[in-house]
Amino acid sequence: MDVLIFARLVLFVTGRLLKAHTFSVGELDRGSDCDKPAEPVTVGEGTPRGRELGVVVETRTRGEAYADLRQSAESGWDRSRRFDAPHGELAAFRAERAGLPEVSSEEAGRYVERHRAGRPWLETAGRASPEALRIIVAADLGGGHGHIRHEGWVTERASMRRVAYLEDPAQLDAAQRQRGIDGLRPGGRYHVCGGLASRITDPDAYATALAHGAEDPDVSTALSTPYKRDRHPDLVRIPIADLLGKDGHKVCTGWQLEPVEGSIDVARDNRRAWRVAIAEGRQPDVPQPAARPVPTFEGGTIVFVISQNKQRNGYEIATLFPQPPARDIPSR
Amino acid sequence: MDDFYWKRHPDGPFAVLIRIATTYLHPEVDDLESLQRLAQLDDDSEMRAFKSELRQAITHPDEVPRDELSSHVEYDDGSPEKFLLRLWRDLYGDEPIGVSG
Repeated sequence: MDVLIFARLVLFVTGRLLKAHTFSVGELDRGSDCDKPAEPVTVGEGTPRGRELGVVVETRTRGEAYADLRQSAESGWDRSRRFDAPHGELAAFRAERAGLPEVSSEEAGRYVERHRAGRPWLETAGRASPEALRIIVAADLGGGHGHIRHEGWVTERASMRRVAYLEDPAQLDAAQRQRGIDGLRPGGRYHVCGGLASRITDPDAYATALAHGAEDPDVSTALSTPYKRDRHPDLVRIPIADLLGKDGHKVCTGWQLEPVEGSIDVARDNRRAWRVAIAEGRQPDVPQPAARPVPTFEGGTIVFVISQNKQRNGYEIATLFPQPPARDIPSR
Repeated sequence: MDDFYWKRHPDGPFAVLIRIATTYLHPEVDDLESLQRLAQLDDDSEMRAFKSELRQAITHPDEVPRDELSSHVEYDDGSPEKFLLRLWRDLYGDEPIGVSG
């Protein structure tokens, strides 16, 4: 009886909290369907459970909740969906097949503990299986950025702002990020992004895509290319379904730049001009860029970029990112 | 599957130009510096073909598969013509575009 009374109390309080924290699309969209560039950015998902009552505590910013809700509403993305990873395969995967350093599970755990403060994308450790974590740490030891910009650590909001405002999720200094400064390239370079910012939302799915991609004949051939300074193997595209199964597209999300005057060329050009003006403290003479969720990744591909490794003596999988079917990508 | 242009049309017009431009200049790669160094290799057959196609694309823009170039390279110059001209300057400086000797 005490358990029943307690359960009813939990349900009552939960209902009140959910009403207080539910954001309606109409309220968020009031006035603009663009996030405000000046809003403080929190890069990271956090919905810890309140210890006393076992209820979900909302820790997302309004912008994060807005972006999540738009993505869910417009693409059907299920934020709670978890990828059913092939744990045995991941455990057996040798990272050297991807041109990456070998890491044991124990080493991966120690690495995360040692570096998570300065490398917050390792927070994915909280959600990754041990087998997947080992692969993600191997990627972090490499020279690439896929696990930083295209994995679940990146929020929908960060992905949206990347494509709309060229704000780099890898840039940990908030002021520099709002100025559009790349977080991984030296010299204060502006961050670049195409007309699409996408991610694989689940760390186990990301690790699976990397592991399966490394076994693809075209990727394997690219990785085996005799090393030559300044040479890059060609990009490789692999169907999402081949890497993550028939429902793999459901753990892929993205935001695409809204065309301007019907042209994505004009939109990218305007975005660059807007970005430079904002960074220089000038009033832009082009419209503020806007982004919309990619409607679906079903039938899409994952692109693999193979680049020089850190040691400059071979090649590694530097990044991978999902792309929707060509029919859903805005044309020139 | 929507594969890359050079995979779908290995002998298609400007396949070398689009492939190399994508490989080095796609925003997820963004390595103009390596391409600039490669562009100086006069004895490299692939880079000679690339330069020839770039020259042809600039002087005959109506022959360029513009949508393919835009969707592959994702330049932010505003148009294929502006991108190709800027690329020539980035790689070959003040060298005249005209027909090579």
